[in-house]
Amino acid sequence: MRQDISGELDNTRCPEIIKIISLGKRSGRLYLTNGSETGNIYFSDGEVIHAQCGALNGVKAIYELAVWTSGEYRFFVDEPSDLQTINMRVDDILSETTTHLRQMDKITSLIPSSAAVYAFESEIKDKEIQLKSIQWKVLASVDGKRSIADIAQIVGFGVSDTMKIFYTLLKMGVLRDAALQDTRIDRRLIELPETAFINSLKHALTQSIGPVAPFIIAETAEELSIDLLSDSTDQKANLIETLSNKIPEEKMSLKFLDAMTDWLKSEV
Amino acid sequence: MKGSIKDLLQISGVHGYIIAQGKSMQVKLPSKHTFSGAKDRLWLLYKDLTEGHHRPGNTLEILLDDMLLTVFLAESTMLLVMSSLRVNQALLRMTGKLIIANMNKEKK
Repeated sequence: MRQDISGELDNTRCPEIIKIISLGKRSGRLYLTNGSETGNIYFSDGEVIHAQCGALNGVKAIYELAVWTSGEYRFFVDEPSDLQTINMRVDDILSETTTHLRQMDKITSLIPSSAAVYAFESEIKDKEIQLKSIQWKVLASVDGKRSIADIAQIVGFGVSDTMKIFYTLLKMGVLRDAALQDTRIDRRLIELPETAFINSLKHALTQSIGPVAPFIIAETAEELSIDLLSDSTDQKANLIETLSNKIPEEKMSLKFLDAMTDWLKSEV
Repeated sequence: MKGSIKDLLQISGVHGYIIAQGKSMQVKLPSKHTFSGAKDRLWLLYKDLTEGHHRPGNTLEILLDDMLLTVFLAESTMLLVMSSLRVNQALLRMTGKLIIANMNKEKK
């Protein structure tokens, strides 16, 4: 295993190293580490043929490696790859990586690092918010304790992709910095009564929309002026139906209705 | 998934229902009901709702003087429920949504 180029990522970032290896028409493996994670980029006659970083492969792995600003790199000559996950010219890869890095600069102006922790914002300004499934996947893992890097690992996305999703969610106003105290959340949680009906409602809604369910129940009851301790079947049905309409995915909405219909049937 | 016609008929205030699908129509109403002999008018309603331009949502409520017609649509299937005005409307809508979803699932 012959090693001929090495250095610190603080001085030379991944795109520059790719350029140097490409200009020299070298073949081999570029190994990079930022301390906690590692990645590899494989070259054949100066062309990038494969890249891997954590669970990511291909160009996405290069985007991930390109944002590392600390750590080290080493190039191992003539270590070929059996895999080919990249079929792009180096110039195109570098141009796309530059675009990606520009986006990341914008994101880091709002999110300091992947170690940042966010929690749900209980007071949402917009009446209606539409989420893409990948945004939902990330949002469902937010618990006010996990960092972006932790969540990236859970959902199986790259850290920079997950940061991008967090950026959008923060801009939408659905998340807030977990370090900022929000006493409204605690108050609302305490205010949800511990009745069999509410517990069942919480359980069924959490299964359909995730941990945000208690807030949605409290918010919907407030909107409809419903007393959560009321025995009125009309009020319960109204609450369930309104909640079901707030579940964006039809299948999940029906699942929720299905689970809650039993409650009402036993009382009618 | 639960949600059957039996559940629907158990809701207090429900008179009966009509299911229309393609060229068939099933009417289950008490014989003296205002709509029991109104198949032609119901066909017109079905055609208007299913063949007309696309409308948002899949539940319609038609309020008559002494009756509520709740219509559930899924592609070419229509479930129309006749009930009194004092029916638990939310429960009726919930049950109707489950039934129409089941019917559509079975059709597929």
